Amino acid sequence: MIITIKAFARFREILGSETTEEVPEGITLAGLLEQIAGKNPKIKTALYEGDNTLRRYVILMQNKKRVNQEDVQTIVLSDGDEIAIYPPVAGG
Amino acid sequence: MVISITHEDFDVNAMIQSRKAPEVGGLVSFVGIVRDDGITKIELEAFEEAALEELNLIKDEAFEKFPLMSVDIIHRIGMLNVGDNLLLILVAAGHRKEAFDGCEYILERIKETVQIWKKEYTKDGERWVPGEHH
Repeated sequence: MIITIKAFARFREILGSETTEEVPEGITLAGLLEQIAGKNPKIKTALYEGDNTLRRYVILMQNKKRVNQEDVQTIVLSDGDEIAIYPPVAGG
Repeated sequence: MVISITHEDFDVNAMIQSRKAPEVGGLVSFVGIVRDDGITKIELEAFEEAALEELNLIKDEAFEKFPLMSVDIIHRIGMLNVGDNLLLILVAAGHRKEAFDGCEYILERIKETVQIWKKEYTKDGERWVPGEHH
């Protein structure tokens, strides 16, 4: 199945603004992040601490709904889902 | 009421004029402008669909919390120069306190959650303005 990944600010500079990723059925959000991190060391460093925990400031949305980091292991993705990845916001 | 994320500049006076109404006793505006922090220019980037949804949510929250007559929020994106308008929040209410409180509430909420980022350009290079983690 295909997942769309949108990235913003410093994550856009590493991941590109919008990409698609082919993933196996039943993959979790954590699995998707591991898959894209496995492709490029820069992405891995941007997303994960040295001990492979997700960096606390990485913000994730699934279909424009904010996702708690504690839930990434249990969220199962569906074909056509859109995942957004971005750092803390700085508007205003 | 206008809630928008746009590359275009806005006319503060025209907006204020358009929000005057017999029951409005006070209009509070916040105009954010690009400050010279040793920068040559600044670039604002947004996750536009999500940010617009978030701005509308913040507007709805402000109406629930304060007795307001109207709320306008215009956030600019794209490349801006020092002194350029960046953000307009315009709140109309019957009385001053709710207008001030509503405007401040909206501004603080924008800084917390709206998906907009700033990159500053200086003569030495470029840097992302760090956001606060919430």
